[in-house]
Amino acid sequence: MTQITTDIKTAPSNHLTQWLFNPFRFMAGYKALLLGLPIILITASIAYLGNTHFDGVLDVHIGLQAPLWLFFAEGLINWICMAISLFFPALIVSRSSFRAVDVLGTQALARWPHIVTALVMLPDANRRMGEYFMSKLNPTAPAVAVNYTDVSIFVFAAIFALLMIVWMVALMYKAYAVSCNIKGAKAVITFIVGLIIAEVLSKLAIWLLITQSAVMHQPQ
Amino acid sequence: MKLLPTICPACNSQVKVKSLLCEDCNTQIEGLYQLPPLARLSTEDQLFLLDFIKASGSLKEMARLLRLSYPTVRNRLNEIIERVKLAENANQNHGKENL
Repeated sequence: MTQITTDIKTAPSNHLTQWLFNPFRFMAGYKALLLGLPIILITASIAYLGNTHFDGVLDVHIGLQAPLWLFFAEGLINWICMAISLFFPALIVSRSSFRAVDVLGTQALARWPHIVTALVMLPDANRRMGEYFMSKLNPTAPAVAVNYTDVSIFVFAAIFALLMIVWMVALMYKAYAVSCNIKGAKAVITFIVGLIIAEVLSKLAIWLLITQSAVMHQPQ
Repeated sequence: MKLLPTICPACNSQVKVKSLLCEDCNTQIEGLYQLPPLARLSTEDQLFLLDFIKASGSLKEMARLLRLSYPTVRNRLNEIIERVKLAENANQNHGKENL
C-alpha cells in the first residue's frame, strides 16, 4: 500500500469553512455529480411545495402553480446552462486540461444553497405577498390582503434568498476555478461572462418550456 | 541528516553547490554546480512528487490517498510542472551564459 509523505499543508483540512466555501477541494467529478443531482431534484421538490421557481441561473420567483416536472426541468436547465457556459470559455483560457465531469459535478454541487432558499420560501405568507404584488401591478386581479406577519416573513425570506444566491455564486466561482484550473483576473472575467450567458440561456430555455407546454395556470 | 537548503536564507536567491564530499574516502570536490531542476523545488513539492511516483503516477490514487478532489491534485501537479519548467529554463540560460 502506498504511504503518503506529502506535507500536511496539502492534506485536507476538516475546517467547516473549507467545506462551506470550497467543498470542491475535497469533492469533484462523479462524487460531486452523485451528490449534486439529488440536491437539484430535492430543491425542485421543495420548490414545488411552495410554488418557488428558480426560473434562471440566478432567479427566484414565487407564485406560478405548475406541475412537478417543470420544477425539475428548471433546476436541470439552470445547472446545464451554467456548466456549458463555463466549459467553453474555460477550453479557451485554461492552460491545463480538465474533465467535463468535474465541471458538471461541481456546478451541480454548487447549487446546494438553493435547498435553503426553497425552504425559506415555503411559508404561505410568501405566496400571499406574491399575489399581493400581482394585484398591485394588475388592476383586473382580485385584491389580496396581507398583514404585518406576512410582510415580515416575506422580507426575511427575500433577504435570506439574496444571501443564498450570493453564496451560490461564490460556490459556482470556486467550482469553476478548481475544476478548470483558472485563477486571477482571467477566472473572474470568464466567470462573469459565463454567468451572464448562462442567465440569458436559462431564462430563454425556461420561458420557451413554459410557453410551449402551456403549463401557466396563473400569472407569475 | 539536515534538509538540503535550496534558497539562500539571506537574500532568497537560488543557491548552488560549491563542494561535495565522499564520506568513505574523504575526497572533496570543489566547483560550482547548479542544483538539478527537481532538487530546486520546495520540500513540499518534492514530497508531493515522491508520493506521485509511489502512486504509479495516478492522480486518482493521489486524490484518494490525500483525501482531496481529483482537480485539486491535478492543479497542484500543474503548478509544480510550471516550476520545473522555470527551473529547466534557468538551467539552460545558465548553460548558455557559461559557453
